Amino acid sequence: MTAASGSAGTRPERPSKAKRNLALLGAAIVVVLCALTVDVDPAELARLPVGVGLVFHEMFLKSGPEWSYLPDALRYMVESLQIAWLGTVLGAIISLPLGFFGARNVSSGLVSNVMRQVLNAIRAFPEVVLAIAIMIPIAGLGPVAGMLAIGLHSVGTLGKLTAEVIEGIDPGPVEAARATGARPLQVQRWGVLPQVLPEVIAFWLYRFEINIRASAILGVVGAGGIGFSLQQALSFNRFERAGIIIIVVIGVTILVDTVSGWVRRRIIEGAEARTDAAGAEALGAEGAAS
Amino acid sequence: MTAVTSPAGHRPARPRPSLAVPIGLVAFAALTWLSASEQFGIGFDLGDIIADIDNGAEIIAQLLSPNWEFLPRTFERMLETFQMAVLASFIGCAVALPVAFLASRVTAPNLPTFLLDRTVLSVVRAIPDILYAMVFVAAVGIGPLAGILALVFFNIGVVAKLLSETVDGVDTGPIEAARASGANRLQTVRWSVLPQVFPNYIAYSLYTFELNIRASTVIGIVGAGGIGVLLQTQYRFLAWSNVSVIIVELFAFVLLIEMLSIWLRRRLV
Repeated sequence: MTAASGSAGTRPERPSKAKRNLALLGAAIVVVLCALTVDVDPAELARLPVGVGLVFHEMFLKSGPEWSYLPDALRYMVESLQIAWLGTVLGAIISLPLGFFGARNVSSGLVSNVMRQVLNAIRAFPEVVLAIAIMIPIAGLGPVAGMLAIGLHSVGTLGKLTAEVIEGIDPGPVEAARATGARPLQVQRWGVLPQVLPEVIAFWLYRFEINIRASAILGVVGAGGIGFSLQQALSFNRFERAGIIIIVVIGVTILVDTVSGWVRRRIIEGAEARTDAAGAEALGAEGAAS
Repeated sequence: MTAVTSPAGHRPARPRPSLAVPIGLVAFAALTWLSASEQFGIGFDLGDIIADIDNGAEIIAQLLSPNWEFLPRTFERMLETFQMAVLASFIGCAVALPVAFLASRVTAPNLPTFLLDRTVLSVVRAIPDILYAMVFVAAVGIGPLAGILALVFFNIGVVAKLLSETVDGVDTGPIEAARASGANRLQTVRWSVLPQVFPNYIAYSLYTFELNIRASTVIGIVGAGGIGVLLQTQYRFLAWSNVSVIIVELFAFVLLIEMLSIWLRRRLV
């Protein structure tokens, strides 16, 4: 590190790190301030390993998870999956046309700007807020409210991603379709849709994976699924039951992720390979996570 | 479809229709029908929803007239949300860094470590943030500590996954160069891999910070601190005009954080 003092005059000067160091210092100050002021008792922190260890012991080790509850846990998990699936289907159907309106290259500048803002606004509300504020009043307590909340939130995220994919298309096929005298809708159908469909379907599946996690949340506010049963088990101190529920959540989620991931890869590999954008896409898709 | 009978011999043959498309469509239709059905699924009926759409009218009318006098009472919990998000992002991202390097084939020291780390990571990712929050509330009691712990696990899952995928895609040239100069494994990672992925790491960290602010609504509902606690109590009291104050405030706060984060990302990365 001290090699900078090397005698060779041809050595280029080190770039200044002042800006970076300043940013790091600022971040460090914020973190320390938060750590000092947050409402966490040091005694609480000291009890932490014991508390976590105890719960883990009660859940999985003491008498083992409550295997007799397995069928019920699976039933609730299936309900969560169904909520997530229907919510994703709803979101996908509504977001596809909205994505076209939101893409600058196939819609007009004004329309796409307005549509982007609408999608951003929808996306800003977490599913649980949508469920409490809109869907439970309309549909009543139960899984249908959860499905509608997930669907609406998915419209925001999927619409944005669809618009971005459409903005990245090759204009050649669009021009070709136009040159053959296709009407505007036909241009979209034959010039744009085939180019974006594989990626968009992959996003739908990815969104489904995220929505499975989201549907677990909705049970807590009374919108159906596995979240409710876990909350019940924990509030009655039925830790061995909570243990089996967690096992089911992990097992089923990993299983569905694996199948869905395989299908996604299968769909994308049939399309143009876009490996260089993978990181950015993963970020975008994770952005859908909330 | 009968165009195959066209006389021109030079027309290329239609590609054989793949079975994957019909199978996919049938699977899609079956899953959707089963999920929506009264008997096997959640009993979704679009007609019912449309018939009941004005059921919520009264509540929504109350939501549309926010009680702004409630606003000052939300600041303390909002600050708690911010503190939780900062601490959880910091701890989560710090832990995620080594976890990500062990979860990439490029940097993992050996196959067993790689597979073990991958397995742990997929288990961590399979549990939703709210389940972590419920379990930690059961373990350490209600309050921000449970929330911070829940968010830490959530962050490790997100950052380690994204970062390990970035590490998978690094240029291997600098790695060879470092090895050739006699660097050990840790030095190779520090001087060849980290500089390549560092901008992404910062971007992912800022991004999880945003996610944490959003997630804190959710985890507060089970008592794990932050603005969600207030949302839950007002919701329980059916104080809809207070609920809408929290929703609007949260919306503004998330927007602010997002703008700040975009600005920072542009400056730093």
